[in-house]
Amino acid sequence: MLKQKGKRAGVLGIFRTPETLLEAVREARELGYRGLDAVTPYPVHGLPEALGLKVSWMPRVTKTFFFVGAGLGFYFEYWTMAVTWPINVAGKPYFSIPAFMPVTFESGILITGVLTFLALFAADRLRPGPGFKALDPRLTNDRFALLIPTGFEGPKPAIRLLRELGALEVHEIES
Amino acid sequence: MSLEHPATTIERHPMALVEEPPLYRADLTLSQVTRDIVAPLDRRPNGWWWLAFLISVTLLGVGAITVVWQLRAGLGILGLTWPTMWGTYITNFVFWIGIGHAGTLISAILFLFRQRWRTAINRAAEAMTIFAVICAGLFPLLHIGRTLLAYWLIPYPNFRHLWVNFRSPLIWDVFAVSTYATISLLFWYQGMIPDLATVRDHKQGRIAKKIYGIFAMNWRGTARDWNHYESAYGMLAAIATPLVLSVHSNVSMDFAVATAPGWHSTIFPPYFVAGAIFSGFAMVVTLMAIVRKVYNLEDYVTLDHMELMCKIILVTSLMVSYAYATEMFSAWYSTDLYERNRFYGVHFGLTHTFFTGPYAYAAWIMLACNCFIPQLFWFRRLRRSLPMMFLISLGVNLGMWFERYTIVVSSQARQFLPSSFGYFRPTRFDYAVLAGSFGLFFTLFLLFVRFVPVIAVAEVKAVLRQPVGEPAVTLEERHA
Repeated sequence: MLKQKGKRAGVLGIFRTPETLLEAVREARELGYRGLDAVTPYPVHGLPEALGLKVSWMPRVTKTFFFVGAGLGFYFEYWTMAVTWPINVAGKPYFSIPAFMPVTFESGILITGVLTFLALFAADRLRPGPGFKALDPRLTNDRFALLIPTGFEGPKPAIRLLRELGALEVHEIES
Repeated sequence: MSLEHPATTIERHPMALVEEPPLYRADLTLSQVTRDIVAPLDRRPNGWWWLAFLISVTLLGVGAITVVWQLRAGLGILGLTWPTMWGTYITNFVFWIGIGHAGTLISAILFLFRQRWRTAINRAAEAMTIFAVICAGLFPLLHIGRTLLAYWLIPYPNFRHLWVNFRSPLIWDVFAVSTYATISLLFWYQGMIPDLATVRDHKQGRIAKKIYGIFAMNWRGTARDWNHYESAYGMLAAIATPLVLSVHSNVSMDFAVATAPGWHSTIFPPYFVAGAIFSGFAMVVTLMAIVRKVYNLEDYVTLDHMELMCKIILVTSLMVSYAYATEMFSAWYSTDLYERNRFYGVHFGLTHTFFTGPYAYAAWIMLACNCFIPQLFWFRRLRRSLPMMFLISLGVNLGMWFERYTIVVSSQARQFLPSSFGYFRPTRFDYAVLAGSFGLFFTLFLLFVRFVPVIAVAEVKAVLRQPVGEPAVTLEERHA
């Protein structure tokens, strides 16, 4: 796992193309390596499956947020219009469900959007990073990397493996 | 340089019915994309940028001074008089909100439909959305007259125990527009995080690295990060899609729920949404025609992309033309005296029809610019000619402003009784504030092209080797 301030060390192999990276990920997994991660400049098709990542939980929480948000919005309209201080406006019913729909919908969307955005920040551990140190600045440009965490056996086997898989460069990192 | 895509790198999708041209030039490499799009941020802006910036800031200044003047003197300095109490401010509000819609359509709806050509224009179009919504949001706040009391529009607990009236479309609008502004901003920013990280890692200067680092939010680009990122992006697109349709529907209900002839019409929500997309795409074409030239981005915003936008303008032009026709037809067919009077002016012995009365100039500009001139896009040559599309898109913007003007103003001027007929004449203050809003819009847009990558770098890289029409694999297929 690639943590910003983790204690785990690892070996980083840099590849030129997404295809070679994918190939390397598959072979490393076949050899039994786990906890692999990859760093890519754009989302590479098929990489999450190759790494064995689960489907993101984002859609599930988003759906929940929407129903909670819309429910809160609707309840708030009901409470203000029909319960706490009902005011007769042009003879319309206090509890006018059709007229409450637009704001119900908008509050659902507003709450969903904001919370999904914050959930992403939590999931990807995003926060302002003025002092960010890149593993390698090319990884947001045109290079792809595979990160193999080192266990008790030390970095040597991983370095050898990455070389065999066709990595252009191999670095040891203390991530 | 060859425009041919090497046949070996593309496998045609079995569902693709027609041979699609490649999205981008075949020999573009990843680092070339980074260089081309990020490089303008390193250079000092050229003379054209400064000239445009100077003009925009001047207009903004004129607008700001006028606004201060209006806040001191009151709304009376505008052309607002009984019976037309909604004048150019409301026109401008509807106009700017409409401009914004194309950005969300490109970023969210085209994303859900897997239209990959959107990658070339989505960043700029989303920026346009946000700036247009900022311009739009100012107008109702100014229009309420006592701008310092604008917070009364928000339901907040107060000692009088009063709440806003949630049955009123005006309050729906407050919620719709503020939600729209918030979601557009978040969506835009989320899409920008990986690119800001690219700029951060590309920049050499210590301070620039720090500043871009703050906004890049420690983005690393690991597969786990991308996994959540793409999912969240899809979710935001999924909620932005119904949102954008709801916003202009709500705006239209400000009118349609009222009983004034010419406003009280059920066709308004779809009619407004189509018009919004129409005018918004025209603005995107206007802006991109300039940006691609000035920033040498012809390889990214290709003529093919511009042509696709022209096609959308053509389709939406037909939609709004149909809506105009329906409006005219139902005014006649309903036999409603007041509706007929609004459009045909034949009652009460008047001859003020929609096309010959006092607002005839606006009606004709609207018809010419929105219905007739865009039909030129039926010709492929004109669809692919930059000067033509630039001129036509400017015309569409003009036409759409006048469409809103006829809706907002001329309907109020022809209400139920001849005693409440009137005429609205904008004053120079009206024009100055309109000019100021354009100044604000272009100032923000110029700052955007100066400091932020105008094209979504990561998204372009992801589709670099794919033809236009290839549908992406859906989440379900991926995890089947």
